[in-house]
Amino acid sequence: MEAVCIDLTPRVLVAEDDRELRELLALVLENAGYQVCQCSNGEQLLTRLKEQPAIDLVISDIRMPGLNGLEVLARRNRHLQQIPFICMTAFGDEQTHRKARHLGAAAVIDKPFDLDDMMTLIAHVCLRNERIKGVDHENK
Amino acid sequence: MRLTIKITLAILLGVVLIFSVYSYLSIQREREQLKRNLSREARHIGESLRVMVTELWQQHGEEEALGFLLRANQGYSETLVRWVWVSNDGPASYQPRVPVAHLDRLRFEETVTLMAASDEGHDFLLTYLPVLLPGERMGAIELTESMAEMHDYIQESLRRSAIVVGALVVSGLLLMTVLGSIWVGRPMRKLRAQAERIGTGDFSTSVNLSGSDELAELSNTIERMRGQLAQARDAEQAAHAAKFEALEKLRHTERLATLGQLSAGMAHELGTPLNVIAGRAKLITREGMALEDITRSATIIHEQAQRMTGIMRQLLSFARRGEARKQRVDLNLVMRAVLPLLEPTLNKQQVELCIDEAPAELLVCADSAQMQQVLLNLILNGIHAMPDGGKISLSSYPAAAVSVPDGFENPDQSWVCLQVSDQGSGIELEVQKHMFDPFFTTKDVGEGTGLGLSIAYGIVQEHGGWIAVESVPGKGSTFRVYLPVDCRGELP
Repeated sequence: MEAVCIDLTPRVLVAEDDRELRELLALVLENAGYQVCQCSNGEQLLTRLKEQPAIDLVISDIRMPGLNGLEVLARRNRHLQQIPFICMTAFGDEQTHRKARHLGAAAVIDKPFDLDDMMTLIAHVCLRNERIKGVDHENK
Repeated sequence: MRLTIKITLAILLGVVLIFSVYSYLSIQREREQLKRNLSREARHIGESLRVMVTELWQQHGEEEALGFLLRANQGYSETLVRWVWVSNDGPASYQPRVPVAHLDRLRFEETVTLMAASDEGHDFLLTYLPVLLPGERMGAIELTESMAEMHDYIQESLRRSAIVVGALVVSGLLLMTVLGSIWVGRPMRKLRAQAERIGTGDFSTSVNLSGSDELAELSNTIERMRGQLAQARDAEQAAHAAKFEALEKLRHTERLATLGQLSAGMAHELGTPLNVIAGRAKLITREGMALEDITRSATIIHEQAQRMTGIMRQLLSFARRGEARKQRVDLNLVMRAVLPLLEPTLNKQQVELCIDEAPAELLVCADSAQMQQVLLNLILNGIHAMPDGGKISLSSYPAAAVSVPDGFENPDQSWVCLQVSDQGSGIELEVQKHMFDPFFTTKDVGEGTGLGLSIAYGIVQEHGGWIAVESVPGKGSTFRVYLPVDCRGELP
């Protein structure tokens, strides 16, 4: 039997125009054992997703220069729709939440958020996604 | 001329007229009386002489009779007695002093009395008594009396009357000047000073004239008027203060409402640094962190806290309710000041704000915070008009050719303009008519107070300017805020 080495570390793409918050999230995620990529606006996020679709989770700010988070959500193709999105928003109104969920966001979190809550949410979303993938594999 | 002098002169004129007429009539009467007395006296003398002359003529002849008359003449110092023939053919020494034609009545044996004037201008009273002589010759005794004495008497009467009139005028004037000053002049000065004080708005001094004359009544009336005016002014001041306070409250409320509109953007601005601070703090508290990382996190926390402080300061400085304070401000600086407040909202609504500042300073005398409020209201209005984003142009410039609305005309006044243009839905003409009315809003209930534009207009009006609107439905609107240029010298 041949032993195959699979990298199971989840890959997270963080899209946030505020450099400090982006770097903080990246630092915390790396410390927690995630692989982290960063981008600072909507266009970069969409390009990155199209070029490198092997991403397990996207954490995106909603308000960003150029394309905003909601617009990126709306422009995902069917394949990219498999990747779970966690949206961050500081506008916090119910309408934004509803809109993001409607566009397929896995979760919406209001800024400012507690880092531990965020990590729990990320872990939860990743786990759920794994389960969904597992079910999909079994079905296949 | 003073009123008392006028009245005095009028009264004196009347008195002098009456007195003059009275004096004239009196003197005339006395003159007549004197004439009659002189005439009577002459007649008496003449009658006596006539009897004697007639007797002598009949008994001793003409010569004796005429000699008697000559002698008699010497006996009267005041009267000249002569014999005259009443005909033109007599000897010259016996001719009457007046033409014979004037003496016709002598022929009817009547005594004739005449006034005559000599060539030197002296008046005489001539009395002729007829003497009928045998042979139907008509003679007469002529008595000549000088009127000089009577003239002297009349002159003296006239002089006395004139002295009395003069004394009357002088004493009347003096008396009325003194009394007029006490009774009229002084109270009138007091009343005038009081009227002038009331005219300048000083209601603090009271004036009460004693007595019950017209001036005292006028003073009472002025006192009542002073009280009523003071009351009215107090009431007006109180109403004005209340109105001012209410307006200030309303403006502050509107300012807070504007803040509310800006708060969504501000929340984002504050939320992100707060997130970084909380996260970095949590990182520090965890064990096993390198000193270098801890220092880096602390530096980031400090930077983010400063960023938040800046945002908070902007918000507070806008929200703080301060005394309205007008001073020289550059409109370009006002434009720059609203930018940080608007930026989050502009980003959220995806609206681009293009600023075109005038190259030179645009100095106006204005309350900077109120002007910011005006600009914010206009720009927020523009943002609301573009729900799908767009561009707002904000510019400032000196308004050279401007059509000044009624009530603002002043040929020496220069104007500056703040212009806010959006690419929004535009404003219907019907809406334009009411858009500056309080509580008029086209937004849904709960989305706008309907006070923003009316308050903006009120503020601009208070600064001596106006807001003009130009709008094409479907293409966008342009609001122009015109303000008078502050032309004072380089004062602070």
